[in-house]
Amino acid sequence: MKLAIKLAFKNLIGAGLRTWLNVIVLSFSFVIIIAVKGILVGWDRQAKNDMTEWEIGGGQYWHEDYDPYDAFTLEESHAPVPGEFTPEIEQGDMVPVLMTRGTIYPQGRMQSILIKGIDPEQTLLKLPTNKLDTAVAAIPAVIGSNMAKTKKLEIGDYITMRWRDANGTFDAADIFITGIFTTNVPTVDVSQVWIPLDSLQSMLLMPGEATTLTFRNREKARQDTGEWKLMTFDELVSDIEEMIKTKSVGQSIFYIILLILALLAIFDTQVLSIFRRQKEIGTYIALGYTRRGVVGLFTVEGAMHAILAALVGAVYGIPFLIWFANKGISLGVSSADYGFAMAETMYPAYSLGLIAGTTILVLVATTIVSYWPSRKIAKMNPTEALRGKLQ
Amino acid sequence: MKKVIVILLSVFSVAAYAQPTADEIINRVDKNMSAENQVVESQMTIHGRRASRTITSVSYTVGDKKSFTEYLSPPREEGTKMLKLEDQLWIYSPTTDRIIQISGHMLRQSVMGSDLSYEDMMDDRKLTDVYSAELTGNEEIDGRQTWVLELEATVPDIAYASRKIWIDRERYVPLKEELFAKSGQLLKRSIMSDITRVDGRWYPMVIVYKDMMKQGEGTEFKITDIKFNQDIPEYIFSKAALKQ
Amino acid sequence: MIKFLLKGLFRDKSRSLLPLIVVAIGVMLAVFMRGYINGIMVDMIEQTARFNTGHVKVMTKAYSDNMSQAPNDLALTNVSELKKNLRNDFPDIEWVSRIKFGGLIDVPDENGETKSQGPAMGIGLDLFSPGSDEARRLNLERSLVRGSMPDSEGEVLLSEDFSRKLDTGPAKDVTLIGSTMNGGMAIFNFRVAGTVRFGNTGMDRGTVIADLQDVQHALNMDDAAGEILGLFDSGYYEDETAAPVVRKFEDKYTDENDEYAPVMLRLRDQEGLSIYVDMSKSMGFIITFIFIVAMSLVLWNAGLLGGLRRYGEIGIRLAIGEEKGHIYKTMIYESVMIGFAGTIIGTAFGLGLSWLMQTYGLDISEFTKNATTGVMMPDVVRARITPPDFYIGFIPGVLSTVTGTMLAGIGIYKRKTAQLFKELET
Repeated sequence: MKLAIKLAFKNLIGAGLRTWLNVIVLSFSFVIIIAVKGILVGWDRQAKNDMTEWEIGGGQYWHEDYDPYDAFTLEESHAPVPGEFTPEIEQGDMVPVLMTRGTIYPQGRMQSILIKGIDPEQTLLKLPTNKLDTAVAAIPAVIGSNMAKTKKLEIGDYITMRWRDANGTFDAADIFITGIFTTNVPTVDVSQVWIPLDSLQSMLLMPGEATTLTFRNREKARQDTGEWKLMTFDELVSDIEEMIKTKSVGQSIFYIILLILALLAIFDTQVLSIFRRQKEIGTYIALGYTRRGVVGLFTVEGAMHAILAALVGAVYGIPFLIWFANKGISLGVSSADYGFAMAETMYPAYSLGLIAGTTILVLVATTIVSYWPSRKIAKMNPTEALRGKLQ
Repeated sequence: MKKVIVILLSVFSVAAYAQPTADEIINRVDKNMSAENQVVESQMTIHGRRASRTITSVSYTVGDKKSFTEYLSPPREEGTKMLKLEDQLWIYSPTTDRIIQISGHMLRQSVMGSDLSYEDMMDDRKLTDVYSAELTGNEEIDGRQTWVLELEATVPDIAYASRKIWIDRERYVPLKEELFAKSGQLLKRSIMSDITRVDGRWYPMVIVYKDMMKQGEGTEFKITDIKFNQDIPEYIFSKAALKQ
Repeated sequence: MIKFLLKGLFRDKSRSLLPLIVVAIGVMLAVFMRGYINGIMVDMIEQTARFNTGHVKVMTKAYSDNMSQAPNDLALTNVSELKKNLRNDFPDIEWVSRIKFGGLIDVPDENGETKSQGPAMGIGLDLFSPGSDEARRLNLERSLVRGSMPDSEGEVLLSEDFSRKLDTGPAKDVTLIGSTMNGGMAIFNFRVAGTVRFGNTGMDRGTVIADLQDVQHALNMDDAAGEILGLFDSGYYEDETAAPVVRKFEDKYTDENDEYAPVMLRLRDQEGLSIYVDMSKSMGFIITFIFIVAMSLVLWNAGLLGGLRRYGEIGIRLAIGEEKGHIYKTMIYESVMIGFAGTIIGTAFGLGLSWLMQTYGLDISEFTKNATTGVMMPDVVRARITPPDFYIGFIPGVLSTVTGTMLAGIGIYKRKTAQLFKELET
């Protein structure tokens, strides 16, 4: 076998330009499959990362009546934070958020918003809640850039907000925008304001209450508790996974075609080399090689394209892929249009599994197209072949 | 010392102006305005940003708990009926032949696009039961002397934490009312005018409601006909009557 | 001589057939690939265009300022006249009215009283006019989960999750409670014809799709519409197409002083789509470029192989005294012919495939196990044919084949006559 590989390698290199052309094309397939798949992996990772950092941490507890898609449920969906979570909250590993509906009137048009209360000192989420820790006459508030844009608000603006407390009594006060943050997670941005949890709790007459509890530690075993329903990380990111799945199917056609193209070249090469090297084949058999051995030799020779392609691909591919991963690819689509986390710039990510998987895929495919024409050898008459007679 | 001054002042004021207490004023207003029942034909003009529209209706009200309204025009609203019994509210729309209960968050929607919410209409508790009133001053509105009453909520489950009402000192009719949020922010204002004497009572024939947070000219409510103490058949205050 | 060469090509299959097949397949893949990539790249844009932005969108100025709230009180009026004018002025654009609205969907029990209720976001679009493409445009039929498409007045589609939540479904009545254009209360009965999946949780949780006329009727919006989407007949957004349209529109329709005068926004101007439009172009270009380079290398190789294949034949031709230059020339001529023929065949097949995929699309729902089919996530991948597809194949098809042959042919000059006979012996 060692001899076969050595022989195959020599033959391959001996063919010069033809081999290198095939190898380059095949290496293209390699690099592009990895790059393109990397975009999806990167997207998936980034979207989940963004959601983790901005909204869901390692998972959440929801009040059992809370439904993020039905703002009317907010009147009912709040309860005191269970005592068992106090240590976690004190350590900063859990962040309670209280929500209610409110109304603002930019340019005199009534607009519903979500008011969310959060501890200004929290560090679990990336929200710039430290900006809430300011002494101003009005209620300090931070908003997302989409909210700022659509409602035409800027830092330093006052706007009157109306809400109703637990008894349904109207209340209204000015909020003062102390910070505007930019995020890819529209569910913490669109049509909502963040104010200090204490303020909201006293505004609503709901001391110590919350609507959701976001925790840091994803691994810890947890279960529903009292009125609180556990939402695991996986449940919270399932939308993204479905989206990625659909995209990856559409994408795969692209590299399948690229791969077919490269394999077409290798197939053509194999057909020709078997045709041209009949004498050589005859000789091998005359020297005692079994037919299967010869088929093996030619198959290895063809499959070796893939190995060379991996090496060549690595030479220019690794720098390219690293550069690509750092520079990213700008999508420019604002996440608010899609309703879930989506970065404007996607940074591809390459997992070991992706690289290994691609290598195996290309190797197997190349082996198959190399083997295909080689089968003909088994049917050859060795004496005729030795004489170089065309068969 | 302070107490003495207060007593002195009040004695003095009663003597000088025969100034009643806030609660007395409210009760007088109640007596003037409410009847065993009333039948009101009205037109409500809603000033939108783009166009105004007028809805006419006839309402039958018995006490504060029962009321039935049928919309007469425009054609689109014609035949729409609204029934209020205690704290429940139903709307019947003839085009859909559906009776829909307005409850929960829907109560907070505006009535027919006006500056009034269903909830504003629904709260039928006596002002003196849910607010503590205080007479805080005298003001002149359109040439009429008024008492200014300030009302603070005494119960928790109430939409407006405080109100301010201007009452005609002679006719015991409110001329202006303002509703406030807990923080003191002015939320709504209504202005009554065209005070007319009907069956021996003074009654405001025009009320303009305005949601102060919204832009626009508010909603004008104009009474075209009002009758007191009529024979109103009891059956109209039933859900079955809505479909008739 | 061409005739002679052609004869040779026809008779000697090894000279013609295999190289021709390789060139044709290669070109076909290149052409199809381009169409496919283009299709994918524009898909996201077109999806937004079909669903939301149009290629251009007409609305009142006031509406456009508050677009995110779908403020129907600021909607366009006299829409049929406006649309007639638009059709006259821009015959190459299809104009469709849409109304977005919000409201409550109320489900009655057997006594006609409220059983369940939920907030909904609605879209009114033309479902019933003969020739209306709206249902197809939104991929509604394919996204059906239960029931059927609405086919008569008053029938609507609900999002599947929403209908489950409200415990309603096909052939059941629901009532929309919303507000009319001038702020009044709108109560309107609909019958659920079917349920659809959107593939976007927010929309799946509460969306109703109704016929435009029903919505106009329900919301007292006779001859009014929130938005008029303009969709280019080409089916694709191009800045170059949109720019003159917007200019012409502004000249004729826009009135700075009237907040209810119609304004036009390009797709690019809406919802931050501009960078994506630019990117899709450059990405399409980069991918095509890489692919053409790869294709060229393959065909170059095929040219080399073709030369080698005919090693023996050329030996004989040299042996019987044919000029090296002449052989070289005839080989190149032949490769030009093969290249052209292969490119034409390949382009034809490639375009055919692309056309099939553009027209019918490739159904990928099988791969995604139907889990993600939805209005917002079409499970049909479409190609897009653009003019370059007709000639792009010639670069690899002819140029690379000929280059390959030229390089391989250099070998002819290296061969020594003395060795020819020795080779021939075997």
